[in-house]
Amino acid sequence: MSECIRTENLCAGYDKPIVRDLCLNVRGGEIMTLIGPNGAGKSTVLKTIAGELRKLGGTVSLCCRDADDISPRERAKRLALLLTEQPRASLMTCREVVETGRYPYTGYFGVLSREDKIAADMAIKTVNIEDFADSGFLEISDGQRQRVMLARAICQEPKVLILDEPTSYLDIHHKIVFLETLRRLVDEKKIAAVISMHELEFAERISDYAVGIKDGKVQCSGKSADVFTEDVIRKLFDLNEQLYARYFKKN
Amino acid sequence: MNKRCVIMMALLFVLTGAAFAVNLFAGSADISADEILRGVFNGGADAAVNILWKIRIPRALAALILGGALALSGYLLQTFFHNPIAGPFVLGVSSGAKLTVAMVMIAAAGRFGQVTSGAMIGAAFIGSMLSLGFILIISQKVRGISMLVVCGVMIGYICSAVTDFMVTFADEGDIVNLHSWSMGSFSGMSMDNVRAAAIAVFAGLICTMLLSKPIGAYRLGEAYAKSLGVNIKLLRAAIITLSGLLAACVTAFAGPVSFVGIAVPHIARVIFKTSKPALLIPACFLGGGIFCMICDMIARTVFSPTELSISTVTAIFGAPVVVAVMLARRRGEM
Repeated sequence: MSECIRTENLCAGYDKPIVRDLCLNVRGGEIMTLIGPNGAGKSTVLKTIAGELRKLGGTVSLCCRDADDISPRERAKRLALLLTEQPRASLMTCREVVETGRYPYTGYFGVLSREDKIAADMAIKTVNIEDFADSGFLEISDGQRQRVMLARAICQEPKVLILDEPTSYLDIHHKIVFLETLRRLVDEKKIAAVISMHELEFAERISDYAVGIKDGKVQCSGKSADVFTEDVIRKLFDLNEQLYARYFKKN
Repeated sequence: MNKRCVIMMALLFVLTGAAFAVNLFAGSADISADEILRGVFNGGADAAVNILWKIRIPRALAALILGGALALSGYLLQTFFHNPIAGPFVLGVSSGAKLTVAMVMIAAAGRFGQVTSGAMIGAAFIGSMLSLGFILIISQKVRGISMLVVCGVMIGYICSAVTDFMVTFADEGDIVNLHSWSMGSFSGMSMDNVRAAAIAVFAGLICTMLLSKPIGAYRLGEAYAKSLGVNIKLLRAAIITLSGLLAACVTAFAGPVSFVGIAVPHIARVIFKTSKPALLIPACFLGGGIFCMICDMIARTVFSPTELSISTVTAIFGAPVVVAVMLARRRGEM
């Protein structure tokens, strides 16, 4: 499987560039984590890759095609998004939320075909949310909701999954359940996932590759084992030896 | 679509018919049921038939169509701003339309006499879009649903003040109808008015129905909707234009009518227990029609022959709904 998502000299930002010259390459079945201090531009990069934000320079290619040449609908069939903030979707059941993932596949009036219903059922099963699939979306916990959003993204049958701090508000149990599910889905469905995270200990466990961003530039990148080292992390997050030792080392 | 929704939708249709019928029977002139049935189906030329076809039927139709338009406009604005207490009246859209309509009526009264229905809708549309333009600019600057509503109410007051000022200084003769119109009323509708309103409102209703798929995705918020391939800019422009058009129609013919636009979409959500646009759009339309027909009947019969302004009645039933919504929202249910 060739690269699913690739950026070359990507320049991302709102009016002025926040991050410059970003080159990423993620293949199906791999998870790449973006780490870096607050305001480094992780979300900006992810939004730009996802096409939510207009890029300021460079190229993004999706499944070996320039993202600029892909229509929004086609992009939605290849790339799904998951954000920290959960939608305030009142009076929707979890199943209905998952079914919105079928949007790019349905016709003008959005009527779900039998295949669409099956796809939603499958997504609900794979993410293990059957127990509350028919509850109201606002009636379940944050952790459960984020798994519903993951099922929604999977229901879109994407090749690429972009996750912007998906576990930030969750408790440890739900963080782990979420990340385990994500890892399994990426492996099974050969999805390329790009995820931003602040929880370094978890990021190290689930990612294949990691990229550290700070001051508008890539500071470090490579295999997860090479990035999550004392030197790199201390530099990236401005931590002196004592602080690092106190918070990251056992005993 | 589940069973509950089918039953509720059928019930709405039945209620619409019933409210319409009741409106034909109720009124200050005593017309027997027999005469009404004969008048509706056979026509004729006696006084009762005249009252029926010249007054009661156009008025009931106006309440149905314009009430539906108001509720739909409110639904669209609530969707647009992700704000449960948005509506054409509180956001000042109705008042903006009222201002431009009053201007046109006063300006035209001296020179051309009667203003055509189309011109009234056009003038109202310009006014409602101007108000919406201000609201959009404000919504970029303020966060939070209550600030937006406060600003809308202020826009409404400013427009109303200017309108009152103009009405006060207009020639007495020009404004025989202007005063009762500016208070909000379904009276004085002709069949021609109804026809013009029906064309504009049904066009708006159909366009809104055609948007039900992207509106459905928009429930997840802009970012998710965009990631699903929705053209957000186009959708937002369409929603705003449609809600402006629908609110403009109402104001052009019936003046500003309060609370229908906020309250009815919530009532529809509660009875259907869903937020699916394909269901809520027709439900809001019918619900708004029923709500306005009943309120209008109360307005003209309770203190007959004195007529209450329609907003007096809609506020009594609509305002408590708004309070209930805000309380429910605090508990995190809406």
